[in-house]
Amino acid sequence: MSAASPYDRQNPTYYALIVALVMMSIAPILLMLLTSFRVNVDIMDDTASLFFIPTIRNYETVLCNVLPYAPEHVDYCDPTFGRALGNSIFVALISTGLTLVLGCMAAYAIVRFKFVGRGAISLTTLIMRMVPPAVLLVPVFGIWTYQFGLDGTYAGIILVYVALNLPFVIWILQSFIVQVPIQLEEAAKMDGAGPFQTFFLVVLPLIKPGLAAASIFTFRIAWNEFLLANTLLDRNTRTVPVTIVNSLTEHDIDWGVIMATGMLLAVPPIIFTFIASKQIITGMTAGAVKG
Amino acid sequence: MPKIRLENLVKRFRNVQVLHGINLEMEESEFTVLVGLSGCGKSTILRTIAGLETVTEGEIYVDDKPISHLEPKDRDLAMVFQDYALYPHMNVAKNMSFALRLERRPKDEIERKVRDVATMLGLAEYLHRKPAELSGGQRQRVAMGRALVRDASTFLFDEPLSNLDAKLRAKMRTELAEMHKMLNKNMIYVTHDQIEAMTLGDRIVVVSGGIIQQQGAPQELFENPANKFVAGFIGTPAMNFLDGELSEVDGRVKAVGTGFAFDLSDEQTARLNGHRGKSVTVGVRPFAIRPGAHAGSTIDLNVKLTEYLGSNTVLICMVGDTEVLVETESGKNPESGETVTMSVAPQDVLLFDNKTELRL
Repeated sequence: MSAASPYDRQNPTYYALIVALVMMSIAPILLMLLTSFRVNVDIMDDTASLFFIPTIRNYETVLCNVLPYAPEHVDYCDPTFGRALGNSIFVALISTGLTLVLGCMAAYAIVRFKFVGRGAISLTTLIMRMVPPAVLLVPVFGIWTYQFGLDGTYAGIILVYVALNLPFVIWILQSFIVQVPIQLEEAAKMDGAGPFQTFFLVVLPLIKPGLAAASIFTFRIAWNEFLLANTLLDRNTRTVPVTIVNSLTEHDIDWGVIMATGMLLAVPPIIFTFIASKQIITGMTAGAVKG
Repeated sequence: MPKIRLENLVKRFRNVQVLHGINLEMEESEFTVLVGLSGCGKSTILRTIAGLETVTEGEIYVDDKPISHLEPKDRDLAMVFQDYALYPHMNVAKNMSFALRLERRPKDEIERKVRDVATMLGLAEYLHRKPAELSGGQRQRVAMGRALVRDASTFLFDEPLSNLDAKLRAKMRTELAEMHKMLNKNMIYVTHDQIEAMTLGDRIVVVSGGIIQQQGAPQELFENPANKFVAGFIGTPAMNFLDGELSEVDGRVKAVGTGFAFDLSDEQTARLNGHRGKSVTVGVRPFAIRPGAHAGSTIDLNVKLTEYLGSNTVLICMVGDTEVLVETESGKNPESGETVTMSVAPQDVLLFDNKTELRL
């Protein structure tokens, strides 16, 4: 009687396709991982094989000024990467935090308050999203540098990232706030809550999944962004993507170190995504009102 | 407990006028039920009292102090919502104590109050559950508990039982009535269910079209409806309405129509003497049509269907083109298809003006 589940009768080519797709997404990372464990001689060897003696030298080189000991193979310890990692974390976290705080309030206002131009503002947030960052590059550089003197500062880059991500965050959070039943806010009002208490104690906990999704999005954009960071930041405030590119010089390309840096670059977003995605659970408003 | 008074309350949403001058005075510790069809404005009245809607014109007085400019939290009210509106991220205890926590009351006081109310409502063992883990009836109790812990002087209920199944609704209705006796507070209750209104209310306010049609004790509304709407709305099965005419037969005024001729009481006859020949709507309650033909006050019924309800049976009959319901004792009722003549006592005949629908 029981029909075979559709998985039993799949065509083998279906699996082949899936394996190919998985390979396509994993292979570059795998290659990067393997390369980061090789010394330059192994990397450049024409007979490069899968068999080599793995080494953590490259990681030691990258992290030399963070490590508690001085790796013996490093003649000169370049502090660039350690500093860049710190910059990246600082810039990404602060801009994500600011974007969320501003975004959730703006979204709430757009959803719940009636004011002239509400629809226009809501639509503009989306249209803003369609402007590619490259278009902003030259004017932002000009204004930030000559008008505000914000070039090379954390404030400058954080401001750009907040402005860049805010529209999308507002847009995402709107759809979450709409789902919070208005009766809950009325109940809170009857219970004696002011507008801010209603927002922070009732609405905000219920849109946590939305905040988590938005934070993953903004964190990753701020973390990976290259163009604007490359243009606006200076030696001391550079973020990791910029340092990686800058380490490609005409004299020397240390592939092992670059790959190790790349691997380290990927770790914080993974951790962040992992933590944030735990908050993404459905059914937050279950039991609030009769369905 | 304070006295609440609505004076000439008008509410407009843009161009749509929802309330057309509501005047209502509620006594201390009275259970007032606002009843009407959906969309009649009864919930709007409640929400303006609560402060969730602004007042367009008129004023709400609590102990003769105008309150329509006050925020909901300053009005000393607690409200139970139709679809519970529980905070889903808080457990039962947190839900119930939300208002007290906002007021920054001492912890032990909050705990004691929540425990007392939870015990009263049979929720003591569920205090740590989230709303999603409760049944409909339990959620409804939490919603009531949230209002009860607040010690507000007035409780507002917006159709609190309409989401429950029939059995639970009857049970909660009884509990509500008991609660009102015990707490002795003002309660204002909105419902579309006239049975709830009849059983709970000290005073029933029938609302239709944004106007109060009639207000009074349940019995008064049932026996003495002011107009056709109230007469048809209060009572189950609903009152029968027949088209008729006032005409003089043998020196007495009678209500006569196709298939029926009713004697009127002496008081009615005296009052309606000048209205001979006038077309009227005749209202008769289903239980008032009794078996047996009394001379001069008869109705000819063609029984279409019978509905057996246990001790009673409802006969669905035709009188001319009009459907008429008759409530009789089971066992003595005629079969479907039969034509019978029954009678109506003069004091059970209500007359309404054809145009104004007011009671004559």
